[in-house]
Amino acid sequence: MNLFLRELKANRKALIIWSVCMFLLVLSGMGKYTAYSSGGQSNAVFNDLPHSVKALLGMGSFDVTTMSGYYAMLFLYIEIAVAIHAALLGSGIIAKEERDKTTEFLMIKPVSRNSIITFKLLAALINIVILNIVTLVSSIIMVAAYNKGNDISGEIALFMLSMFIVQLIFLSLGAALAAFMKNPESSGSLATGILLIAFVISKITDLTGRVNVLNVLSPFKYFSYTDIVNGNGLSIVIVILSLVLVAAFSISTYLSYTKRDLHV
Amino acid sequence: MNVIEIRNLTKNYGKSRGIIDVNLNVEEGEVFGFIGPNGAGKSTTIRTLLGLIYPTNGNAVIFGKNCSKFPEVRNEVGYLPSEVFYYDNMRVIDLLKYSASFYKKDCTNRINELAGIMDLDLKKKIDDLSFGNKKKVGIVQGLLHEPKLIILDEPTSGLDPLMQQKFFELISQENKKGATVFFSSHILSEVQKMCNRVAFIKNGKIIELEKMSTLQENNYKKIKLEAKDTIAEGYFNISGVSKLEVKGNSADFIFKGNINSIMKRIADIELTNLSIDEPDLEEIFMHYYAKEG
Amino acid sequence: MNMYLHELKSLRKATIIWTCAIIALAVIYFSVYTGIAKDAADFKALLSGYPASIRAMLGISLDNITTILGFYSMIFSFITLCGAIQAMNYGTSILSKESRERTADFLLVKPVSRSAIVSSKLLAALTMLLATDVLYYAGASIVANAVKTSAYSNKLFFMISLTLLFNQLIFLAIGVVVSVIIPKLKSMLPVSLGVVFGFYILGAVIATGENDTVRFISPFKYFNLPYILNNESYETPYLIAGAIIVVVAIAASYIIYVKKDIHAVS
Repeated sequence: MNLFLRELKANRKALIIWSVCMFLLVLSGMGKYTAYSSGGQSNAVFNDLPHSVKALLGMGSFDVTTMSGYYAMLFLYIEIAVAIHAALLGSGIIAKEERDKTTEFLMIKPVSRNSIITFKLLAALINIVILNIVTLVSSIIMVAAYNKGNDISGEIALFMLSMFIVQLIFLSLGAALAAFMKNPESSGSLATGILLIAFVISKITDLTGRVNVLNVLSPFKYFSYTDIVNGNGLSIVIVILSLVLVAAFSISTYLSYTKRDLHV
Repeated sequence: MNVIEIRNLTKNYGKSRGIIDVNLNVEEGEVFGFIGPNGAGKSTTIRTLLGLIYPTNGNAVIFGKNCSKFPEVRNEVGYLPSEVFYYDNMRVIDLLKYSASFYKKDCTNRINELAGIMDLDLKKKIDDLSFGNKKKVGIVQGLLHEPKLIILDEPTSGLDPLMQQKFFELISQENKKGATVFFSSHILSEVQKMCNRVAFIKNGKIIELEKMSTLQENNYKKIKLEAKDTIAEGYFNISGVSKLEVKGNSADFIFKGNINSIMKRIADIELTNLSIDEPDLEEIFMHYYAKEG
Repeated sequence: MNMYLHELKSLRKATIIWTCAIIALAVIYFSVYTGIAKDAADFKALLSGYPASIRAMLGISLDNITTILGFYSMIFSFITLCGAIQAMNYGTSILSKESRERTADFLLVKPVSRSAIVSSKLLAALTMLLATDVLYYAGASIVANAVKTSAYSNKLFFMISLTLLFNQLIFLAIGVVVSVIIPKLKSMLPVSLGVVFGFYILGAVIATGENDTVRFISPFKYFNLPYILNNESYETPYLIAGAIIVVVAIAASYIIYVKKDIHAVS
């Protein structure tokens, strides 16, 4: 319990900074909406453009003149930001004992490595939940401020839910890497490297339908945002599969960390 | 000629005190000891001298020049810090060669010589070494360019007794060849053995600066004896005796004064055992280490 | 010289990884080019059915995509993103690692001035970035040539690719100055990524549209690729802005690093 509180306190400053940044991101992003929404006549034509061409022109598959389409476009950037936060948090919270040379302090206390991991992950979880809520609230407020059309709060909630799952994936991935690697300090770079690859893959599959199989490697593509925008909600199958992935990463974190020699 | 000159050196860390008005000189060829309690300012003084941190006031020069303004001066300085860290993934020999490349001379022979004396495996990776062995790397690294000034910050912490001895032999040899040694330590017996002069720093200020010989002369003799019969309580209560402890057959005290007077008293009883010692630095300075008030 | 070589060696592994990554990225993008060019060309044929104004607007965009240079200018932002992360990482780590790994007591006591230390490290980082860029340019040119549908101007291809170096210089400088200003940090990675992605997202979300002054916010927007293609030159105000950032940041880094206290264990 003391460990849990300590981890929360240690990450407090970073969480505040990230929360402020997410709020500013949503704020400034929504501020641009008017610029997009005013030029609306060519909707029809844009929608007919080939998928790849639209992607290339930066429009993705959404009609950015409507609020929900615009938010969907903005959402990708929001998601990258929180994903980075989650990956760094996950790898950092496990690696930090070895990185800061506090291993010899903590690991000989009368607590099992399992409980140490549990409390650390719990603290990390609270962090990403808070960040998610901050983003959710900011989004709802800002969208309401600029929205001229239908209320999309429900869709925003769905976006945030899918984002939470993506956060979980990267959090557990970061933790698993840090727990596994003999030299945990590089886990942060590796986790973000993987994130970057996932991001690039999501952009590439936007461009061409032929390599859609690669989408498996990119959590950014697990949820179909067009479906959300069209009001179809999240696919239960994908949600369950994602949670299984998260569980797998988490379990491997426990297994690796308890088994390996700690690098002093 | 003064190898080190420190004048009114003051360093504050924000509001905390570092060192205040430190004045000291180290002459060429000396072995100078620098002792004091934890947090007194020893490392601050050394780091300011080397140019790692900047003084708030005053100055510190080596061979007449300030280290930060004239980095070439450090060509003749060897430094062994108290905590030794090196780059990851380097082998000992690579680190030593890299260190040697900063000095304008070929140090290969010296490296091998020193590694032999300190029993250091040059092929190992530094990451794989124990603390004491890393310390050895530090020692070789500090001495491989045959510097004229050797600055040591707690050099023997972590070394086994044999290595400590070898290390001090090394330093003596360097000193005999003309090197000056500036040496900070907690191990007073080392300081006592090696140093010509000693400075004691506490709470950032120099409290005492003396030659070793003077320190010892002006001091007491420790006398311990065991007698055949019980010793009377007041038997050794003569002038010049202090800290008298009499327990049955044995007596323990400190004597300062005319040695003959105490010898006469000792000679008058039948002894089974007697020892007369010079006080060690620990006894001289122990009261300095204690907090005041 | 010895410091320069030592620093090169320590950056070697990372540079190899980044170079391979950036080249791989270009290769992947170019490999999908042919498919897209065809899609666009097909669609263009259908354009005749649309009103003139739309035809005009879309026509230009579509033309862009079908030519290899136009395509290149569209995907190049991701390459720049990766290059910027690489440069920023180098910048934030080269000076701070002496403090983080506590090797400061070794290096800063050597008979070299602090500015010589900074110079060796900067030059080493610069050399590695240049190496990456040169290899990237070679790789990208080969692939571009392999998939092109029509001839393209090598000069323009080079001018676009060169903006990678410009961006990297800016982020290297920012990275170095950030690392000397921020006191003690256990890991520079969050700062490094945060700054780069921050600027990237800022550029993507805010600095869109025609407003020129807003573009100054994000180095990613300093080089407007369509402009370069049309005018065969860079936009001077932004070049100057970039240069100013680099010069000021590097100068500040020197000044701060030379004057600061280096503590034993930070």
